[in-house]
Amino acid sequence: MKILIAEDTKDLNHAVGVLLTHEGYDVDQVYDGQEALDLILTTGYDAIILDIMMPRLDGISVLTTLRERNIMTPVMLLTAKADVDDRVAGLDAGADDYLPKPFAMKELLARIRAMIRRGGDYSSDKLIYAGLCLNGDDLSLSSGNTVRLSIKEYELMRELMLNPERPLTMAHILEKVWKSEQDIGDEAVWLYISYLKNKLRSVVSPVVILGEKEGPFTLTHE
Amino acid sequence: MENVYGEHYGRLIALQEELQSKIALMDQELERENDSRLIDHVMVRLKSEESVLEKCAKRGLTPTPDVIVTNIHDIVGIRIVSTFLDDTLKVIDAVRRLPSITIVEEKDYISNAKPNGYRSYHMIVRNEEGYLAEIQIRTISMDTWAALEHDIKYKKDIKANKELITSELKRCADELASTDISMQTIRNMINGQI
Repeated sequence: MKILIAEDTKDLNHAVGVLLTHEGYDVDQVYDGQEALDLILTTGYDAIILDIMMPRLDGISVLTTLRERNIMTPVMLLTAKADVDDRVAGLDAGADDYLPKPFAMKELLARIRAMIRRGGDYSSDKLIYAGLCLNGDDLSLSSGNTVRLSIKEYELMRELMLNPERPLTMAHILEKVWKSEQDIGDEAVWLYISYLKNKLRSVVSPVVILGEKEGPFTLTHE
Repeated sequence: MENVYGEHYGRLIALQEELQSKIALMDQELERENDSRLIDHVMVRLKSEESVLEKCAKRGLTPTPDVIVTNIHDIVGIRIVSTFLDDTLKVIDAVRRLPSITIVEEKDYISNAKPNGYRSYHMIVRNEEGYLAEIQIRTISMDTWAALEHDIKYKKDIKANKELITSELKRCADELASTDISMQTIRNMINGQI
């Protein structure tokens, strides 16, 4: 389990880091919002702890950017005790939980466990990226035109759209999309990637999937 | 009743035959170039008098032979049906190169499907005598879909829920389009092209 801590107060960042590492989490620590965003866009986390008041880029802006890019990783906001407005803005921007400072470490740990448990439930049934819409209700993919996808095509497209502009390795795709299935090889993944490439073209979308046969594959737009 | 096409009738039949034989030659040439048949079948029809008169009435035209021939572009209709998606592209390209035939207009309802799901490539062409014809190019699955859609459009008293049928037809169109692409992709893999 990989967790990012973004908190500019060095002591607090350090304390939370030590605690989470001790609990067995794999922890990355940053001290401003821009650094946090850069890391999130290139690394897959299971949970993110975000302070609101941070230099360079505040926590709410980081959160808003993530959600706009369909990145649905659970986010816990750390807020100043008195500030109700911050909490409301944070939840509205897509935070999964918040914790007013100062907090008890025990409570932080329990809330993170709860958040990770709920994990995936937060992604919406309709994903949008660069004018391309993937609809989970009817498995349709639309831009200028519409086509209906098969279940596996949908799941693969969904994984790509949840991680736009981030290279996904063959191993990652096999694990996330073909979870429990045996006998699925790289060749099948490549065929499904090829289906989607051609279907993106047929719905006249500027969205493309980059990558050679052996991966990694990156969803981006022209 | 006299033929609605009047003195143009013979010329329209001639255009139909001209296109038919040029497309037959094109078919053979494409087969030679590609080592396989690109065209599954070709259909030809002359628009029925009833349908011409209906169209004139709808557009407020007085149906004299001259008016009809100038204003209705699909009196001569030809449909070229291919098995695979990429073959339709090759056929479209070959139609553009037909000798002594000018392309007047092209409408790409494959890249740009109609809201009901209709997909096909339409080309209005003119021969040296100045007569017009419409050539439609599509895959077998687009053709099958259009046949069913034609039924619902022209059958007067459908008892079934029309709204349901329309939305189900749209769903089928989008699934068929998707399957056409998947089949083409598998074919490319078989041929070592991906």
